[in-house]
Amino acid sequence: MNRKERRQLLKEKQISNINIEQHKDSSNKKRGFFQRIYEDEYKKLIFIPFTILLVAIILIVMNIAQTGEFVNKGFSLSGGTAITVVADNINIDLIEEHLESNLPNQQISIRVLSEAGVARGFIIESDAQDNGEEIINELEKLSPGIKDSDNLSVTTMGSSLGDSFFRDAILAIVIAFIFMSIVVFIIFKQASPSLAVILCALSDIIVTIAAINIFGIKLSTAGIAALLMLIGYSVDTDILLSTRVIREKKGRVMTRIYNALKTGLTMNATTLVTVLVGIFISQSPELKQIFTILLIGLVIDIINTWIQNVGILRLYLERKNTPNNKKIIGAEKVGE
Amino acid sequence: MGSNTVIKRILKKTRVIILIIALVLSLFAIQFLIVGNTGVAIRTITKDSAAAVAGIASPRTTQPMAREVIVALNNQDIDTVEDYFTFTEDLKINQSISVKTVNRKFCFVVGCLVNDYNTYRLKVQPEYEIIVLNETESVEITEQVFNETLNQTLNITTTEIRNKTIKNVLGPEDIGFSVYPAPSNNLRKGLDLQGGTRVLLMLEENVDAEIMELILDNIKQRLNVYGLTDIVVREVKGFTGTGDQYILVEIAGVSSEEIRDLISKQGKFEAKIGEEVVFIGGKDITYVARAGDQAGLEYGSCGPVSEELYTCRFRFGISLTPEAAQRQADLTSVLPIVVENGQEYINESITLYLDDEFIDELRIGAELRGNAVTEIMISGSGSGVDEQSAANDAIVSMKKLQTVLTTGSLPVKINIVKTDTISPTLGEQFIKNIMLVGLLAIIGVSLVIFIRYRNLKVSIPVIITMLSEVFILLGFASLVGWNLDIAAIAGILIAVGTGVDDQIVITDETMKKAIGESHLNWKQRFKKALFIIIAAYSTTMVAMLPLYFAGAGLVKGFALTTMAGVTIGVLITRQAFAAILEELVKK
Repeated sequence: MNRKERRQLLKEKQISNINIEQHKDSSNKKRGFFQRIYEDEYKKLIFIPFTILLVAIILIVMNIAQTGEFVNKGFSLSGGTAITVVADNINIDLIEEHLESNLPNQQISIRVLSEAGVARGFIIESDAQDNGEEIINELEKLSPGIKDSDNLSVTTMGSSLGDSFFRDAILAIVIAFIFMSIVVFIIFKQASPSLAVILCALSDIIVTIAAINIFGIKLSTAGIAALLMLIGYSVDTDILLSTRVIREKKGRVMTRIYNALKTGLTMNATTLVTVLVGIFISQSPELKQIFTILLIGLVIDIINTWIQNVGILRLYLERKNTPNNKKIIGAEKVGE
Repeated sequence: MGSNTVIKRILKKTRVIILIIALVLSLFAIQFLIVGNTGVAIRTITKDSAAAVAGIASPRTTQPMAREVIVALNNQDIDTVEDYFTFTEDLKINQSISVKTVNRKFCFVVGCLVNDYNTYRLKVQPEYEIIVLNETESVEITEQVFNETLNQTLNITTTEIRNKTIKNVLGPEDIGFSVYPAPSNNLRKGLDLQGGTRVLLMLEENVDAEIMELILDNIKQRLNVYGLTDIVVREVKGFTGTGDQYILVEIAGVSSEEIRDLISKQGKFEAKIGEEVVFIGGKDITYVARAGDQAGLEYGSCGPVSEELYTCRFRFGISLTPEAAQRQADLTSVLPIVVENGQEYINESITLYLDDEFIDELRIGAELRGNAVTEIMISGSGSGVDEQSAANDAIVSMKKLQTVLTTGSLPVKINIVKTDTISPTLGEQFIKNIMLVGLLAIIGVSLVIFIRYRNLKVSIPVIITMLSEVFILLGFASLVGWNLDIAAIAGILIAVGTGVDDQIVITDETMKKAIGESHLNWKQRFKKALFIIIAAYSTTMVAMLPLYFAGAGLVKGFALTTMAGVTIGVLITRQAFAAILEELVKK
């Protein structure tokens, strides 16, 4: 290292020290409690998403131990029959009671289809593939004429197809994930930020799956599509954050993060509005499941992006900007 | 600066012009009629019906707006499906009906540019119940045969022994149209939204492309023979493990058990004497009599078996190839003759099997022993709780058997792995519901955007871009002929949602001043926004790509709409949005 380089280094160090002083001055006056925690305690905050991830993994393992599957599959993935009936006056208890007493040996579940809280019909699901006729005959007893009316939809799904679809879907998710990771590496060309993005998307999916199990949602083919969508949405905000923080050189890191946060949360807000409208208004059970899974994933993604990913990026920048990081002790708290 | 000049400048931008062109092209593709459309569109024409006789053909095009629409019957306006049914309810045999139809071309927002009117005249035919008797009669059949040595057409008359038939007139026959409300745009509604039957079949063993083609053709043919033309039959694949092969069959509008039965049958028909096969369906059979001819219920065959079970028998004539007839002669010539109820029969019967299931047994008269007869009567039975339902069941079974005998058997066994019968009422409700969801989502997103920016110069372009994206995507869907089903609608929502996200990125990148980036000009800032957008776009595309190939095509529509949507967004709408924003906000 020649003299010129040494002088340059010293100058940078002085500037950064001045920055730190300025930062400390301005910050302590204006910053609120949460802001202070968010800015200064990011290393401790990282434990929150990691704890959630760990709990999620444990829950999924427990689910595998209990049921043999990491998700609870709905009839479209495990095989079965679904009968959808359009009707205005529905006495769901009566129908349930009737079916239970007349078809006692069958696993039948019944749900109301509603639009903005108004019942529009109901759906009967069963694990068996061959009892559609029987159920319809029972319904005919309750409401004569329904059998030949236009108000009945029947779907049967063979279990072999359900299985192969499920295998396909899992493979699709894995391939999508690998492709996405490659693209992220190409975009950022640096290992740590890329890994942070990928880790964030991975925890999104894992925690969402655990949450799906907790809420007792039975995953359908549409739900699988929702999980894939989640990869896309999750990565969008991470790319925004990483681009602003890694590729831009001007301004404080914290300012860049706040800028990204503002944009990102606006993005999340528009998606959230759509998803909530979808959950409360949409009538199709498939769409409802897509929206529900997206809502869960979105909330989890907010935590993972703005705590986990931000934390990792700040740690990364801290290491990168202080090659001999033990020498500048003061810098650690700020992450510049 | 007046707002007029700003708008003028915006409209001169290349990127905005591209957007406008895309919107106009979409309008062309969708042919969107705000005022709706009157009349009933023809879905299919029943074979040999009055309509078919009058020369009306089943529609060949799948473009909704290009289909022939019935607008008047006997100069009485037909506006709705109800009108059509009210008119056709009380027709009389031999009544003459004039059918006025229209082919509408290039329809836009209010009216159609070209209305091609057509008038057909058809006569209501009687519907017969045909009873086939045991007595035979000789019929003289005159055929025109071209004789090559004489180089002229000769009338050759042959005498044939046939079973006598009785024709009972049941009443006027349906005139043969299957109709639905005339569409007011070119958007193709998927089965989820319009109702119908969808069957996913799995081949029991894998076949090569050529045989697959054969199977697809056969299934199509069976459905055509059945009188259904508004159908989709195509191969779909999954990509894991076994590499199973699937066939997807979609039939719009109808949902019936017999159709599912019909397409899932391998259709292996065998007629045996003892253990020897005499003839099989397809190649050994040259002709199958259809309804109206030598086909119908067997005389006096309907009756109770027990208190709650009635049966009816059907029979219909077929013609065998000379080889098959000879085979039968050879087999029967060595068999002894027995006497039953005073009649002489050969001691063995011909037994009929469909897909290895026994259908019926035919006694062979002694006079046929060793004779190479080509005309044979096939019979079978149907059952029901009363005589009427037994007769119906017999007729349905007969139709199925006739179809299978005509089209021959499939080279492999196929199994139904998924069936959907979707009620049209439910589909209608879904459409209304989805439109409500879309509307509320757009309002909600607009509100969020307005609250965040508190600036109409930002909010209005966001909303315009959002709506354009939906419209262009729908235009694209009509152009390439996608069926819009629930999955595709989810894809559109995702694409538009991503679009809004990107517009927020563009707005924030180009309008931020805080970080001392005032040295960057508008172009440079947009370039930075574009980096984020392209990065996000690439990840969405690669995430959706595997889904396109997965799962027997069940979620293909979703992957396709999402990918097309985000691509249209990145190439057209987001560019235009940036251009508009630049003009409106730039100082």
